[in-house]
Amino acid sequence: MANPDLMEKEGKKVVLLGNEAIARGAIEAGMGLSACYPGTPSSEVGIALSAIAKQAGFYFEWSTNEKVAYEVAAGAAFSGVRALTAMKHFGLNVAIDSVMPTIYTGVKGGLVIMVSDDPLGHSSAQSEQDTRFYARMGLIPTLEPTNAQECKDLTKLAFEISEKHRIPVMLRTTTMVSHSIGTVKLGKIPQPKTKGNFVKDPESFYCLPPALQQLHERLNKKIDTIELAYDYLNRIEGEGKIGIITSGVSYQYLKEVKKDLNGLKGVKIAKLVMTYPISRSFVTKFLKGLDRVFVLEELEPVVEQFVRALAKDVNPRTEIHGKDILSRIGEYNPETIQSALAPFLKAKKPDFSMHEAYLKKIDLPARKAVLCPGCPHRSTFYAVKKVMGDQTVWSGDIGCYVLGIQEPYKMEDFIVSMGSSIGLAHGIQKVSDQKVVVFIGDSTFFHAGMPPLVNSVAHGTKPIIVILDNGVTAMTGHQPHPGSDFTGMGDKKEPIKIEDVVRSFGIANIKIVNAFSQKELQAAIKEMSASDKLGVIISRGLCRLYMRRLLRKQGGEFSKFQVAPGKCKKCLTCVKQFACPAIMHEGDKVYIREDLCWGCGVCAQVCPVGAIIPAARRKKNDV
Amino acid sequence: MTYNVLIAGVGGEGVLFTSVIVARAANFEGFDVRGTQLHGLAQRGGAIPTHVRFGKAVDSPLIPRAQADLIFALEPLEAARFCYFAHKDRTNFIVDTYPVKPVYANLFDKEYPTYEKIKQMISPFAKNFVFIDASHICDQKLGDPLDGNTMMLGLAVASGMLPLKKESIIEAIKRTVPKDPEKDIKAFRFGLEYKE
Ligand SMILES: Cc1ncc(C[n+]2csc(CCOP(=O)(O)OP(=O)(O)O)c2C)c(N)n1
Ligand code: SF4
Repeated sequence: MANPDLMEKEGKKVVLLGNEAIARGAIEAGMGLSACYPGTPSSEVGIALSAIAKQAGFYFEWSTNEKVAYEVAAGAAFSGVRALTAMKHFGLNVAIDSVMPTIYTGVKGGLVIMVSDDPLGHSSAQSEQDTRFYARMGLIPTLEPTNAQECKDLTKLAFEISEKHRIPVMLRTTTMVSHSIGTVKLGKIPQPKTKGNFVKDPESFYCLPPALQQLHERLNKKIDTIELAYDYLNRIEGEGKIGIITSGVSYQYLKEVKKDLNGLKGVKIAKLVMTYPISRSFVTKFLKGLDRVFVLEELEPVVEQFVRALAKDVNPRTEIHGKDILSRIGEYNPETIQSALAPFLKAKKPDFSMHEAYLKKIDLPARKAVLCPGCPHRSTFYAVKKVMGDQTVWSGDIGCYVLGIQEPYKMEDFIVSMGSSIGLAHGIQKVSDQKVVVFIGDSTFFHAGMPPLVNSVAHGTKPIIVILDNGVTAMTGHQPHPGSDFTGMGDKKEPIKIEDVVRSFGIANIKIVNAFSQKELQAAIKEMSASDKLGVIISRGLCRLYMRRLLRKQGGEFSKFQVAPGKCKKCLTCVKQFACPAIMHEGDKVYIREDLCWGCGVCAQVCPVGAIIPAARRKKNDV
Repeated sequence: MTYNVLIAGVGGEGVLFTSVIVARAANFEGFDVRGTQLHGLAQRGGAIPTHVRFGKAVDSPLIPRAQADLIFALEPLEAARFCYFAHKDRTNFIVDTYPVKPVYANLFDKEYPTYEKIKQMISPFAKNFVFIDASHICDQKLGDPLDGNTMMLGLAVASGMLPLKKESIIEAIKRTVPKDPEKDIKAFRFGLEYKE
């Protein structure tokens, strides 16, 4: 459901999520096209744009992967139309091959790449990547907002900078900027410009040597110009002999704890808004006369190293602190900033010892994320394990099914990157005789699973590849992919069938099974396990959470299951091996919580004594 | 003064809905609003709270340690889990006692603590607390346990634990579920007028 405030009138003050504010900024910039691939913490930019594309009159799509999304946006920008793509940090790893050359060629219409880092990995398993290094590697001008208002304003500005200097501009956030809400004062929405025209321009687009070197030189000049022209965005607050340089959400934390740090008396703050290129003149001026400087930034010491290098020339006596007092790992909060600065600012360190002591006494059962009740992946995992046992190598991939890493399944032996499961399985099989089962989701298959599958066919290994086809990109909020039956604009479309794709690679050994049928699943796995050919099982069953949303929109509910009184023999197969969150075990009672059951009925198939049966229906339209 | 509300629960939807309503209502009253809405794994049964802060001018999106004014918990374990943000001089708790036992408690035979135990855990951090079987009551009286959070908003406003006007909350509901606000308004009013 679209947030109605996204299209509110100019001058209104509304509360937006950072990511929604970025979407609004793009609309206020008259963006004509957006192409994204979901990845939290960036997903809500696309979700917001997708929900209002028709109303606002621009084109939106969820592309097959981030590289494609970037290329689609760049194509529009080559043709003079303003375009935005949003992705999570790992997405930029996928897109970067096309980003690098387009920084050289430049664009005609404004092109904004929104990238969100995720320190602490709230919604990312793979690494604590610091995307700011890419800005330096690719010479990509980069802006960093600190709150929702700036998310909107800087997105708009990023389009202007991009168009004026004919260069793609990156808007970099972190989770706590993208996923924080804030009051935003709205600006005017112009009519979006959606029609462009590609004009041949060999001087810009022919990036072959020796023209490449000329483009490189032109790029360097652009960066120098931008460094000077946007100096004014960075701000200095306060006065004193102690300096603090900060950007992003750390700035907000610093302001929050100001009162606990003696009001930051005698402290001068530099807030960096453009973090690439960093203005040398701004930092030079700031460093003059300072005894001490602190650099507050999450993750790697990117700004700190810049400041250290510059300080050698302009003020070698300044003492510089950064990662010596603050961690490179995880994310900060107001307390980390306060504790790090307090000793230097003669402020009291906060004392929470009483609080700590009480907290230590509280021992709560952990509540980790789990597959939803009724999730088709649980049923697939259960069947595969039943047939293949524990000794198989489980080549995992990225999606809701990463949760299969946890007890009691433990069926992802490694999780590397989207689409990596098939190449890794191939490599393992080339050097060992082990059985390997691959689990890969449908969205991930289209995203980056096709090239390694072709490779396996071409080079002859025989993993069992289980494609978990739940119809949507579930983990990030049920976005459509090429195999879905709807588009990012909300229109119906013909799904591209995974079996057709797989067959076209020359794979004949394909089984399509109902993900909610243990019988079908187990039979298919047995057959594949006995076969000496590469086998693909497409386990098809709609994401249960997605289905539930569709159902509730129509006022329906799932019908429920129950444990028949007296029949249960307390073997606990459903509790300990199937592990559905709706099945409870208390004392010597096993029962299903009706309010948590989403009616898939797979538990009834795994119960060895048939003790689980349908419960009475509550309403007529329940399914 | 900034007013800090931490909303905790299981499953995501109720938590997100509640925080949107509180944030919108505060915005209608002219406050500066900040907070967090972590989506990520919230949907998959994880325990991820949202922060909503409102006042004249708010800086950090995160509530600083021990500075919550209200912990609004849609599940009792989750009330206890976030005592980090609570302080007995300041923090009120309103807690739906409808439990959701974590899968891992089932798997490893971990006890779900009794309410008495949860109350004991919370009390060193609580100025005041209200335990109410909201989902259950809503299931019986309104026919939908998912109304529990909206009913609790009513209780929080009526008791002054949430210093926002009831009209603002109703406006916020209308803005958030424009197609069918009546169901939530009814649950909210039910909470406003609820007497044990
Ligand atoms: C390069 C990259 N882009 C995006 C993501 C974010 N991401 C994590 S899981 C996922 C969804 C995968 O969907 P699918 O394979 O269909 O599995 P499902 O969640 O539906 O089970 C995405 C997009 C990522 N981790 N890496
Ligand atoms: S969102 Fe869908 S795919 Fe993901 S765990 Fe829930 S039911 Fe399974």
